[in-house]
Amino acid sequence: MQILYNSALKRIYFLLAILILTSCKEDDKGVDEFVVNSVTLLPPNAGKIKPKTDQQYVAILHANLFQVALSANQIFEISQCIESIGDKEVAREVIISNFMNKPGVKMPTNEEMRADLRKFITDTFNRFLVRHPTESEIEYFENYLTANPGITPELVYFSFSLSNEYLFY
Amino acid sequence: MKRRKFLKTTGLAATAAVTVPYILPSGRLFAASGNQKAKHVVYILFAGGVRQQESVLQRYLDDSQDIPFTGNIMYNMFEGEAPSAKIVYGTGAGGETPIPMLLNESIQKQGTLFKEVNALSAGHYGGLNNLVQGSRAITQGLKQKPVNPTIFEYARRHGGYKATDVWFVGNGIGNSTPLLNYSINPDYGAQYGANFFAPTVTFGSLGQEHLSNAKVYHPEDELTPMYQMKYFLDNSFENFGKGLETIGNTEAEKQEIKEFMRQMYNKGGGYFKPPVTANSDAITIGYAAEVISYFKPALTVVNLSNVDGCHSNFTGYLQNLHRADHSVGFLWDHIKSIPEMANDTIIIATPECGRNLEPNGIKDTENEFLAFDHSDQNTSRVFTLMAGPTVPSNLTVGSEGNSIGQTTDNVLTIADILGFKNEVGSSGYLEGNSMSLFDRI
Repeated sequence: MQILYNSALKRIYFLLAILILTSCKEDDKGVDEFVVNSVTLLPPNAGKIKPKTDQQYVAILHANLFQVALSANQIFEISQCIESIGDKEVAREVIISNFMNKPGVKMPTNEEMRADLRKFITDTFNRFLVRHPTESEIEYFENYLTANPGITPELVYFSFSLSNEYLFY
Repeated sequence: MKRRKFLKTTGLAATAAVTVPYILPSGRLFAASGNQKAKHVVYILFAGGVRQQESVLQRYLDDSQDIPFTGNIMYNMFEGEAPSAKIVYGTGAGGETPIPMLLNESIQKQGTLFKEVNALSAGHYGGLNNLVQGSRAITQGLKQKPVNPTIFEYARRHGGYKATDVWFVGNGIGNSTPLLNYSINPDYGAQYGANFFAPTVTFGSLGQEHLSNAKVYHPEDELTPMYQMKYFLDNSFENFGKGLETIGNTEAEKQEIKEFMRQMYNKGGGYFKPPVTANSDAITIGYAAEVISYFKPALTVVNLSNVDGCHSNFTGYLQNLHRADHSVGFLWDHIKSIPEMANDTIIIATPECGRNLEPNGIKDTENEFLAFDHSDQNTSRVFTLMAGPTVPSNLTVGSEGNSIGQTTDNVLTIADILGFKNEVGSSGYLEGNSMSLFDRI
């Protein structure tokens, strides 16, 4: 009886050893086994690494605000104005506020903006920053615009035009 | 344990109480170590390549054209009688009417003239860099920001001045002039840079057309939320490491600058200006006077350059030299009308380079006078004139055969005046044998 028991036990050990030795194991090539490349997750604006020149900035700004291209001569003249002021942020602010004082800026009314904030925010990101907003960005702007009823589309457009991201492409 | 905590808390509080009052607007921890000779400096980069012979040596046409008429055509700056005949540098037809002297006594009589100073560069941009960097950087290229720190950065970093205390007023945007307001030096750079205007552009026809119709936004109700939204966007962008260079005007300073611009556009042609504004140098000086009146900066640097027309027009050169003198006289007179600055400002004027001894062969159409470039040994000969409190009056240092001082001295001199000479002197970036001009007297 004892002999039979020992023999069965040996067979079980043997089978276990075979199972362990032939069971699935990680391939040396690791992730290639599953054909998935490693990916570094980046923010949606991470690809913008080239600063716009003054001329590019002016041309794109005018196109974004008026949906009409500026003449080459005016682009050159306005870029010279930027060059003549040491604080470029001040220069850009003055140029944006000059544009805003002209007729023809294409933007929704305050009522249209507040009727569908999510759409307005998405459209504004697409128009100025050429990308979709993240959920956190949508949430921030929805909350901010809801909490501040005095903010107009013009001020939102102003802030996007003045943002650092808008200076890169 | 409680005792230890008490001592720690008390120690921290005491440290904060001692330290906090000395944190300056620029973020600098301690005020400059030296005594100030004056609270304000106005520094003229004069004025585009000036021959010693027609300026400080007062040889008029005698030396340059072999026409035996000598005399002083810069009588607001220098002592000396004006030419008695062959007047071509004034106003009216043929320039026959000299512009009357504006000052009661010349700046030379009020202060100290370094009659023979060594200019370290024969070119404009190199010369301007010598004047604002206090050094002669071998790797300095054209169309490249200064490689060594500028006097603006020294002033803001070591003097603790805010951005609107330090101004550079250029006579245009050509010749890389706008690049001079801060360097690319990693220890200094944009955050210590100067505010800059090129008035002939900013407030000229281009500025009038594209900048003068700015919409006025309410600072609290409109601009504050606008900036908050901008800063939200910037934070999300800068988290990825793309901060932008900025000279660090605060929001309040930006409002001041925009208000100043608005006032200039509203004034139109009614800004402070010299009686004769026949060239862009005079216009530049006029707006520099406005900047000085409005901001009362600790340091104002003004660049003039019209005399560089001497490459092809000697008559025009004489006229522009006469007008540059007139403009500097006007500015010094204007400073004395500002109560906060009248007796607390030192003015310094130095050409960035001289001009050649021999003409280049080009004759102007007005008088067939020969023109001069700037490249030979005579180009290294310039002067420095300064006046104001603590500057010895009616003193001349050096002479035609005895050169004393060099153009890179001015940076250390300004640091000496504003009280941070030791910090600049030990920065390691100055030309080897530079000295404060006060130490050369």
